[in-house]
Amino acid sequence: MKENMEKITETMRISIFDVFEKMFYIFLESLDDEYQEYDVEAVISFEGAMSGEIRILFSVDMAKTMVQNMLGLGEDEIDGQDIEDCSKEAANMICGNFLGKLDSTEAFNLSIPTYILECSELPAGENVCRMDFDSDGGNVGVVIEVNG
Amino acid sequence: MSFNVLIVDDSRSMRGVIKKIITISGFKMDQCFDAGNGKEALEALVGNWVDVIISDINMPVMNGFELLGMLKEDNLLKEIPVIVITTESSEKRMQNAFDLGAKGFIKKPFLPEEVKKILYKVIGVGDEGEYGEDNGDDEDFDF
Repeated sequence: MKENMEKITETMRISIFDVFEKMFYIFLESLDDEYQEYDVEAVISFEGAMSGEIRILFSVDMAKTMVQNMLGLGEDEIDGQDIEDCSKEAANMICGNFLGKLDSTEAFNLSIPTYILECSELPAGENVCRMDFDSDGGNVGVVIEVNG
Repeated sequence: MSFNVLIVDDSRSMRGVIKKIITISGFKMDQCFDAGNGKEALEALVGNWVDVIISDINMPVMNGFELLGMLKEDNLLKEIPVIVITTESSEKRMQNAFDLGAKGFIKKPFLPEEVKKILYKVIGVGDEGEYGEDNGDDEDFDF
């Protein structure tokens, strides 16, 4: 399990860098310590050769930066719907990119992402890995729970 | 000659990004329709002819595979080329999309030039062809 989680963690790190650079023009840096001030989250689950759930945690600054960069809008032009939409799309892209890199031969079923205004209690255990990132635009975290 | 494009994605942001990329690329786009899922796409096709459809797969109500299946069953609509643009890029998923009639596949996240290239390829014209307006700077999309 430990070896598997290390592979999952490293694959997710590559995927989240890839998505943020290509779609949001944001360059992330890994944090050694857990960031505790996230404001919103997007959750997506997947089923296939492996099943589980991925939570993407955003500081509100990061969520706004993503919308501004992706759509080329000014801060006063974006609304809550834009932030929700962009957060869910980020979760969708990160999950799909991650699973494709983990095993391109397997087909996974992805759920429709959901958006949560206040971050919920995060799972813990040996089947869970967490990463936190920083950038000029704010903070983002990812929690992956693998069920089997 | 210009082309009508239908963009199908449940993300309003993604629809906006794709439309912007097509516009910036210099592609001769006439009307751009959009839809939030396959069902809305079929409704948009009633009374509106489009030359190419760009569709996501993972959508509520009617997903991209179901949309491809519905288009394939229609003698008129099956002629419209469909580009699938999705995060789900496994070999099985891609093959499934092509089996259902998709003509192109773009994996999210994507670079603007990838969208431009596949669009020209599927429509059947080159960057510098009759219908494309090459800005001479493929790698430089300024958002």
